[in-house]
Amino acid sequence: MEVLLFGLIAEKAGADRIQLDASSLDQLRALLSARVEGLAQMSYAIAVDRRVVQNDMPFTGAEEIAVLPPFAGG
Amino acid sequence: MMSEAKPHRKRDIFVEGAIAPSFIADNIAKHATRHDIGAHEIFLGQVRADVIDGRSVDAIEYTAYADMANEQMTAIREEAFTRWPEMTCLHVHHSLGTIKAGELCFFVFASASHRQQAREAVAYVTDEVKKRLPIFGKEVFTEGGHVWKQNL
Repeated sequence: MEVLLFGLIAEKAGADRIQLDASSLDQLRALLSARVEGLAQMSYAIAVDRRVVQNDMPFTGAEEIAVLPPFAGG
Repeated sequence: MMSEAKPHRKRDIFVEGAIAPSFIADNIAKHATRHDIGAHEIFLGQVRADVIDGRSVDAIEYTAYADMANEQMTAIREEAFTRWPEMTCLHVHHSLGTIKAGELCFFVFASASHRQQAREAVAYVTDEVKKRLPIFGKEVFTEGGHVWKQNL
């Protein structure tokens, strides 16, 4: 699946979208930590279909996944 | 899918570049034909030349997850119209791209029959946008380098 990256996280990964094969949110977190250096020490949220989710959930592969660093609007 | 029954349609709040003071003036002028309005309230966000570890902010480069931000904005808009039913209109605009210190990057504009509703709605919408919209800001220093802004 394609994972959208933003802001500081896109900068750390050197890309604003990456391909990862995760079957659940927890697996995605693990794959992201391996792929994006220093992610474990960073504050970030994961959005599934444009909503921030916290608890583990299965993925079908059709979801729109995004990794969001702290917001800074305004 | 968006429900067609929603009274307020989904809009795109993002504009490329700074918000011009003339755009704000034009927006106010457009409301002259609405004679049910008795009060306008406006919040304007301006890029501040913060000094961080001896370096000063020259500009903020804004990016956003626009689809999610606009969906969140639609939700905030619904909440505001429910809480302040006397509000007649609400306009929100946020910049993307490089906005220099001193330029405007955020415009919240509510109109209502009386001031209290407009005032409270603008305060609420401004705070919720800062909290809930996935907008990211890279603070670029005059001396070179950058840090990523974070709303508290």
